[in-house]
Amino acid sequence: MNVIPIRSSSEIRFVLNGRAVALDVRPEALLLDVLRDRLQLKGAKRSCDMQVCGACTVLVDGAPVSACTYLAIEADGRELTTVEGLGGDEALDPLQEAFIDCAAVQCGFCTAGMLLTAKALLAEDSAPTRERVSQYLRGNLCRCTGYRKIVDAIALGGGDRIAQAKPARGALEPLRVVGRSVRRTDALEKVTGRARYLSDMEVAGMAHARLLRSPYPHARIARIEVTSARALPGVYAVLTGADLTWCEPFFGPALRDRPILAVDVARYEGEPVVAVAAVDEATAAAALDLVEIDYEDVPAVMTIEEALAPGAPLVHTGEPLAGHFSDLASLRARPGTNICHQFDYRRGDPESAFAGADVVVDDVYTFPRVQHYSMEPHGAIAEWEPDGALTVWSSTQNPFSVRAELAALFNLTASRIRVVVPLLGGGFGGKTYAKLEPVAAALARVARRPVKLQASVDDAFRTVRRCSARVRVRLGFHHDGRLHAFSCDADYDIGAYADIAPRVIQKGTYTATGPYRVPNVLLHSNAVYTNTTPGGAFRGFGVPQLVWAVESLMDVAAERLDRDPVDLRRQNLLAHGEEFAPGDTPVDGKLEESLDRVAEAIQWQAGAPAGRAKGVAAMMKASVAPSVSEAIVRLHADGSASVLVSTVEMGQGARTVLAQIAAEVLAIPLERVTIVSPDTSITPYDQTTSSSRSTTMVGRAVQEASADVIGQLVKIAAECFGVQPRHLRAEDSAIVGEGQRATYPALIDHHFGMRGGELIGRGVVAPGRTRAPLGGSTPFWEVAMGGAEISLDAETGAIVVESYTSVADVGRCINPQQCEAQDEGAVVQGIGHTLLEEMVYEGGALLNGNLVSYRVPRAEDLPPRLESLFVENGDGPGPFGAKGVGEGSLIPVSPAIANALARLAGVRLTELPLTPERVWRALRDRTPRPSGP
Amino acid sequence: MECGIVLRPFALYQASTVGEASEVLAREGSDAVVYAGGTEILLVLKEGLLRVGSLVDVKRIPGLSEIRADDGHLTIGATATHRAVERSDVVRERCPLIAGVARHVANIRVRSVGTVGGNLAFADPHSDLGTLFLAFDGTVRLGSRGGERELPLEEFVRGPYETARGEDEILTSVRLTPWPAGTAGAYVKFGVFERPTLGIAAALMRDGGDVVTGARLAIGCVTPRPQRLLAAEERLRGFTVAEVSRHADEVATLAMRDVEPLGDLHGSAEYKREMVRVFVRRILTIAAARADGRETDERHPHTIVV
Repeated sequence: MNVIPIRSSSEIRFVLNGRAVALDVRPEALLLDVLRDRLQLKGAKRSCDMQVCGACTVLVDGAPVSACTYLAIEADGRELTTVEGLGGDEALDPLQEAFIDCAAVQCGFCTAGMLLTAKALLAEDSAPTRERVSQYLRGNLCRCTGYRKIVDAIALGGGDRIAQAKPARGALEPLRVVGRSVRRTDALEKVTGRARYLSDMEVAGMAHARLLRSPYPHARIARIEVTSARALPGVYAVLTGADLTWCEPFFGPALRDRPILAVDVARYEGEPVVAVAAVDEATAAAALDLVEIDYEDVPAVMTIEEALAPGAPLVHTGEPLAGHFSDLASLRARPGTNICHQFDYRRGDPESAFAGADVVVDDVYTFPRVQHYSMEPHGAIAEWEPDGALTVWSSTQNPFSVRAELAALFNLTASRIRVVVPLLGGGFGGKTYAKLEPVAAALARVARRPVKLQASVDDAFRTVRRCSARVRVRLGFHHDGRLHAFSCDADYDIGAYADIAPRVIQKGTYTATGPYRVPNVLLHSNAVYTNTTPGGAFRGFGVPQLVWAVESLMDVAAERLDRDPVDLRRQNLLAHGEEFAPGDTPVDGKLEESLDRVAEAIQWQAGAPAGRAKGVAAMMKASVAPSVSEAIVRLHADGSASVLVSTVEMGQGARTVLAQIAAEVLAIPLERVTIVSPDTSITPYDQTTSSSRSTTMVGRAVQEASADVIGQLVKIAAECFGVQPRHLRAEDSAIVGEGQRATYPALIDHHFGMRGGELIGRGVVAPGRTRAPLGGSTPFWEVAMGGAEISLDAETGAIVVESYTSVADVGRCINPQQCEAQDEGAVVQGIGHTLLEEMVYEGGALLNGNLVSYRVPRAEDLPPRLESLFVENGDGPGPFGAKGVGEGSLIPVSPAIANALARLAGVRLTELPLTPERVWRALRDRTPRPSGP
Repeated sequence: MECGIVLRPFALYQASTVGEASEVLAREGSDAVVYAGGTEILLVLKEGLLRVGSLVDVKRIPGLSEIRADDGHLTIGATATHRAVERSDVVRERCPLIAGVARHVANIRVRSVGTVGGNLAFADPHSDLGTLFLAFDGTVRLGSRGGERELPLEEFVRGPYETARGEDEILTSVRLTPWPAGTAGAYVKFGVFERPTLGIAAALMRDGGDVVTGARLAIGCVTPRPQRLLAAEERLRGFTVAEVSRHADEVATLAMRDVEPLGDLHGSAEYKREMVRVFVRRILTIAAARADGRETDERHPHTIVV
C-alpha cells in the first residue's frame, strides 16, 4: 500500500461559471493564482492573504472559500462561481444592481468577495436581518464604505425591495447633473469584476520582483552574499544597496533620506535590503532563500521617549538632502538628535495670556501608530524603453511626484518618464509619494525587462503608517468661557524615514487651534525619527493626533468652567469670513450651523438614556497650499467629451464627480463624458489626489476647461448666427439664443469645414504663494463635527458606539450619495483607530503586521445608528459652491467617543485606542468622584 | 525577513487509508505534515513559518468525515468541516451546543473548508473547539500503521501548537459524551481580535431535580492550552440552580485562581485573569437561566453567546 505523491502538474477538471474547464496544475498552486493568472479571471483579489478579508472569495459548490488559501487541485470535480459568473450575459444579478443603487461600491477591491458572500447568505436566508448580514460578513473587510451601504444592499437583496433605497438628496436644489446622486461611472466595472487595478496588470515579458527585508530594527549590514541567488535559473536581477552606484540611491519628497535598498545600515524591521526579479514569484522567493546577510546589531530607538533621550542612538547621522516638495525649503533638522524637522509658530502673547487665564487645562495625549490597510497593497510595474525612456505603472495617489523622484534618481527629464495610474484599491494617503516605484525601476533596468513589484499586506505594514504622536496641549480660558491662550507641544513619531512627515507635522500643528478663535497661540512640534516603519500621510494629515487632544480638553475645560460643552465650543467658534490667522484664508463655512446640526441631531439637550452618554467634537482642517491642478477638456466632433485630469480614482468617486461637473458645464449628458486615467505623458499636471482637494481644485479646473470649450462654441455660433455672443448659451448639446440653435457637432463641422477636429479647453487652478505663515493659504476649510452616543461594558471595558452623527460642511454636495458614502467610511475608519487599531512593536519587531492580529473595523463594528449630514450653503470655493469632503469626518470620532466615555464613566483616557483593557484599567483605577451638590 | 506570501513546492500524498497516510508520515518524518482543510497549515506554509517537502492529504480517507452517534457517544470524524458539524442532524440532536458553536467559528469561508480534526491537531490556543470539547469529556482517537489509541483531550493538547500526536499518527476522530437530559449549558467567547481572547464552556447537569449533580467548566485562549476549572466545578456540585446564580461570583473567583494566563496582544495576564472571573460568572448566570428555561437578555459587546 504505497501512495504515489503528486509532485508535478496534474490535470484537474471543474465547472467554472457554468463552463467546463480542464487544466494542469502543480500541487502547490493556489486557486487564486490559477483563476487570476492562468484563467485571467481577475475579479477575485488578493489582499490580506490570511482568510480574514474575503477579497479572494469564490464559491465552491456554493460555499464561500478563500481562494488565496485553497489548493487549486481541490477544485477538481467541483463547481466554481466567481464574480464574473454572476448575472447573465446582458443583465446584472439583482444583488449587483443593489450594490450600485445603494452606493455599496467605492474602491471596488472588496466588492467581488462581498457579492459572492452575500449570494451564499441569500441562498441560506432570502430575507436576512441587518444583524445577520453583519455577522455573516465577519470575514469580509471593506476599508472605504464603513459597511453601511453594503449591509443596506444585501439586506435589500435586490429585486423589488431595492426600490426602498432612496438615493440621498442634497439640501440645495439640484442642477441638471450636479447635486444629483447619479450612479458611479465605475460601478458597473467594479460589480462585474472587470475593473482593473495595478495588481491585475501584466506587461508582456515582465519579471516578478520580491524583497528581502531587515529582521532587525537597526543593524549595520556587514556582508551580503548573493552569488547563489544570482546563479539560480530564472533569476534576472539581484540588487543590493551597494549595487546602486549607477543611479542616485536616495529619495523622499521632504528629505532624500530613504534608500531604494538599505545602504550599509537598515533602520527598521522590514526595511528592504535585497531585491530580486525573476521569471515568477516562486523563483524570486527561492532566490531570496539563497541570500546570506550578516547583520551587526546597532542600538535602536523604538519610541519618542527613547529617541529624544539625551545621548540616544541616532537613526540618521549624515547631512539630510532636501527633497522636491516646494514648501519645505525651510526644513529645520536638529543635527546630532533624532529630530528631523521642527515647527514653531506664535501669535499674540501666549505666556502672559496663560498667566492671566482664569482656567487652564493641560494634559498629554497619545495617538497610536496606525496602518492604512488599503485593501490593495502598493504595487508598481517598471519598463525601460530601448531609447532609455521609463514607463512606470503605479498604484500611486500622485503620479507627478513619483515622476519627479524617478527623474532625480535616474537622471531623466520629466518628458522621458511616463507614470500611468490605473484604479486604486484604496489609498487613504498611504499611496502618496514614491514608495515601490524606485526599486521596481532599478530592478527593471538591471533585469533588462519589465518588472512588476506587487507588495503584500505585510509589506504594506512595513512601507508606511500614520505618524503616531505624543501631544501636550494647554488651553487657557477667561472665566466667561473665552478661549484666550492655546499652546501645543507635539512630538510626532515619523519612523525611520521622513517621507512627507515634516509636512504632516508642520501643517497639522499650524491648524491645531482648529475652528476656534484664539488670540494668543504658541505651537511647537518635532518630527522624531525612530527605528520603525516610516510614517507618512494618512487621512487627516497630522490633524487627528491634535484634535484628539484639543477636543478632549475642551470637554475637560467645560467641566471646569461649569459650562455645557456644546455651548463652550459655540462661544469660541470662528465666524464666517473671519481669518483663520492674520493673512490666512477666512472661514468659508458657517461653523455654528454645523455644531448646531450635530447637537440637534443627537438631541444633545435631551441627555442620554440610562447607561449611555453622549459626546461631541469639532474640527477644521486645511487643504494643501499652494497647489496646482490643471484640466484639459476635448470636445470631439460628435459632441462627446474627454476630460483629461490626473486625479487618481481610489474609491472616493472623483471620476464620477468630475464627470458630473464637466457634463453640467458642457450641457451634455453624463454618459457622453469620459474621464481619461492619469498618465503623466498625456493628462495634465495635478499636484496630488489627497487633502480632500480634488473636487475643489481639479473640479474648478474641469469647470474652467469646460467653460473654455463653451466659450469657443459660443464664438463659433455667434459668427454663424450673426449675433452677439452674450445672447447665446449652451443647452442640451447645442448653442442656442436669439431664436437660433446649432448642435455641437454642427458647430465643430462648420468651424473646421469638415467632419473632424475638436475643441480643446484648458483650465488651470493655481492659487500660488501667499503671505500666510506656511507660505500658502488653504483653498478651503474642511469642516466636520461629530456626536457619539456610547454604552459601556464596565466589567470588560468594551465600548459600544450606539449611535454616531457626522456633520460635514461641504458647501454643496456634487453627488450627495457619494458624499454620504465617503463620510460614513471616514467615521468607521475613525472608529478603527479610536477603539481597535494600533501597530504594536516588541523587541524591535512589529508584532501585528498582518490582518489576523491587526484589527480593522468589521461590519459588526458599524454603529447601529450612523447618520451623515451635510451643511450646504453653496459657499465653498469649489465648483457650484462645493468644497472638499472625505477626510474631516474621521477626525472628531476619537474625542467625541472619549468625551462620551468621560461623561458615562468619569474616566478621561488620554491614550488611543480605547481598547477594552485600557478602559478597564481606567475604571479600576478611577478615584471616586466627589458627589455633586 | 521576507514579506509576501509564497507556497513553496511540495509533494502531495492523497492517502486513501490511515495506514497509507501513517506510512508516509513515518517515512518523511518532520518533512511531512497532515493536510485536511488547509485553513491552518496552508497559512503557516505560505508565511514560511513552516517548511516541509510533503503534505499528506487525509480528506480522501473514506469514513474520516463521518459524524455518528453510538453507545451514548457522539463521534465526529476528523475531516468533518465546521459547516458539516453545524448542519449535522446528529450533532444538533445530541449536542446542539456544538452545532451552535460551529456556526461561530472564524468566518464562513474557514467554516466551509476547515475541519474539526485540523483545528484540534493544530492546537492554536486562540481557538474554540478544544475548550468546548473539554466540557463534553472529549477523547481523541489517533490512528497509525500500528493501530489506534485514544487519549483524553486534556492529554492530547499539550501547549500552544503542541499535541501528543506521534509523528506517524493521524487524528481520526473525537469522541464526545453528550450531556444527560436536563443539562443546561453554554459557550461564550469574547474578544475584539480575529481569534477569540477568551472562550468558556459550561454545563450544569441535574438529576431530574433542581440540584446540580455534575458540572463542567472549561476555559481556553487565555491559557497556553484549554483547561477544566475543577475547583469551580466541584463547588457547583450540590448547588440548586438558584444557588448557582447566587454563588456565581464566588465560583468565578475560585475559577480565576485556577488559571495562569499568559499576556499577549489580546491583553495582559492581569486583564485576562479578571476576564476569567467576569466570564465564569456570566456563563454561570446564562446556564442557570437556561436551567430555569429562560434566556438572559443581557448582551455584551464583542461577546458571542451560544
